[in-house]
Amino acid sequence: MKATDAILSVTSLRKRFAAVEVLKGIDLTVTPGAIHGLVGLNGSGKTTTMECVLGMQSFQSGDVRILGRQPADIWQCHGAVVGIFDTPGLHTGLTVRQVLTHARMLCPQPVRSPAEVEDMLGLGRYSHYRIRQLSLGNRRRVSIAHALLGQPQFIIMDEPFNGLDAGGVDDVLALIKDLNSQTGTSFLLSSHQLAYLESICSHISILHNGRISLTETLQNLAGSADTQLRIVCDKADAAATLLQSDPAIRISSQEQNQLNLQTVGIDAAEINRRLVMAGISVSELQALRRGLHQVFQDIVNAPADSPLQEAS
Amino acid sequence: MISSFWVALRAEIYVGLRSHASRLVVILPALIACAQLVLTSMLTASREASETMFGGMGAGQIEGADAWGTLVDAYATGLTLIGLLLAGYAAWSLANDKDSGVLRHLLIRHASRRTMLMVKLVHAHLLGIASIAVLLVSCTLCAWLIWDFGPVVEDGYELIGTSEILTELRLGLLLAIIPLPAAITMGLLVSVLAGNSTQALVAALGITLALDILKGIIGAASDYIYASYLVSLLDSSYLRDVSRLVRGFSDVMINPTTLQMNQWVPWPQAIFLLLLAWYAINRKPV
Repeated sequence: MKATDAILSVTSLRKRFAAVEVLKGIDLTVTPGAIHGLVGLNGSGKTTTMECVLGMQSFQSGDVRILGRQPADIWQCHGAVVGIFDTPGLHTGLTVRQVLTHARMLCPQPVRSPAEVEDMLGLGRYSHYRIRQLSLGNRRRVSIAHALLGQPQFIIMDEPFNGLDAGGVDDVLALIKDLNSQTGTSFLLSSHQLAYLESICSHISILHNGRISLTETLQNLAGSADTQLRIVCDKADAAATLLQSDPAIRISSQEQNQLNLQTVGIDAAEINRRLVMAGISVSELQALRRGLHQVFQDIVNAPADSPLQEAS
Repeated sequence: MISSFWVALRAEIYVGLRSHASRLVVILPALIACAQLVLTSMLTASREASETMFGGMGAGQIEGADAWGTLVDAYATGLTLIGLLLAGYAAWSLANDKDSGVLRHLLIRHASRRTMLMVKLVHAHLLGIASIAVLLVSCTLCAWLIWDFGPVVEDGYELIGTSEILTELRLGLLLAIIPLPAAITMGLLVSVLAGNSTQALVAALGITLALDILKGIIGAASDYIYASYLVSLLDSSYLRDVSRLVRGFSDVMINPTTLQMNQWVPWPQAIFLLLLAWYAINRKPV
């Protein structure tokens, strides 16, 4: 995909706060219709990346294009891009209805009324409450309601699930899915809630040590490159010796006839073929699907020169 | 850009009409000025009753001086507060929108940073116009209910006529209002540079008071500072001279050069402060 076709294209983005270089050359592309999750440890630079992308922070070098525009000109998209931040940016002295009416005034082509978005997010009964009287979760709902007054093409959400109860999280997840499937709205979400991201994202990027360590579709992430296998065979020692000779295979553990492997770029069928060719009888071979959490942990905990990190 | 300015201004006014801070800026100066009028009238009535009782009334009494003098003092009190509140509001408003994150929504969806700066500038001026209008109307009405206004007369001799008083009063008010845009732009500049709204508010009020003190220290050089022409706690504005003039003081020395400076000095300073804010706003994180 050309960078010009992308909803968001970030190339070699570098950001320094005094002596600390937080972003050391970020490359990130969000394609049309994608729900792209950005995960990373605390302080890894997720929020800084989002703020640079949205023009809230300057950066030292790199190129950012959002719907083909530079961050400083993002306002010229007139509501096609929406940013929802960790802190809901709302006038605390106004009521929910007034905040939404104010937001509608600024929306060039509103497609929903304040009453409609209140209903969509279960805010109807808080309509005449002042923002300062609402819980953090409901404030977050109001800031999401902001986005729904228009027809945004791209929504950037920083920690969208913070402060939401279980029902609220389900509502937001459903809302993201609906908007994505019905109107093709693209999303860039950052969150520590990996399970939520895994349930909704089409793409995942892992931000670690100031760089994007991995960008992959969720589908590939689950079954690809980096796979864990459990093998039960009659000659476990011989099997271990055979497989260890390949640098793409790492023996995680061995117990009697059982081997646990971690492989990069070799699938279960190939392992089975090698063992059988060596005269080792395989009675069980199980590919363990790795969750986002496991992939994230492996990347975060692996040393910088590990083949696992290089593969990603 | 122009259409985004008008839409953002309309939205700003929508919020302003529902904000306690805006209401405070518009109503508080008028309220305090009217309270001063009422209090002064009560004290004057009490003094006159006392003098009548003990036979102190007599020759040398200046008729009409109390009415005009108290009215001008009330205007001066209101304008002092308006100057402080507008500088503080201009500093607080943008910084508070930054703190709360409201500014981010506006910048992402609708307007550039510089457009928002101009929106805040115009909004603060609209508030200033509203607060001055409320002050003038309420004080005039309040004073008209309490006193009879006419020429200032001493022992049957007219010291100053009504039309002359009104001319001087109009000039005094006009000259007191001219430096307000510079005070507002100073507040905006502080708002752009400050880290948060509390810092901005404290800095803007601190700078206003510091300039007030400074003008008394630097002598003739103070003619080149806009703050010298603001009605303030250490007042050196023309309205102070008007207050003495309408009380029948004959020793009021009016320097035409100072009046000229009052008209022209604040404008380039307002523009300079605005240009600094214009330059700085694109370089600060939001």
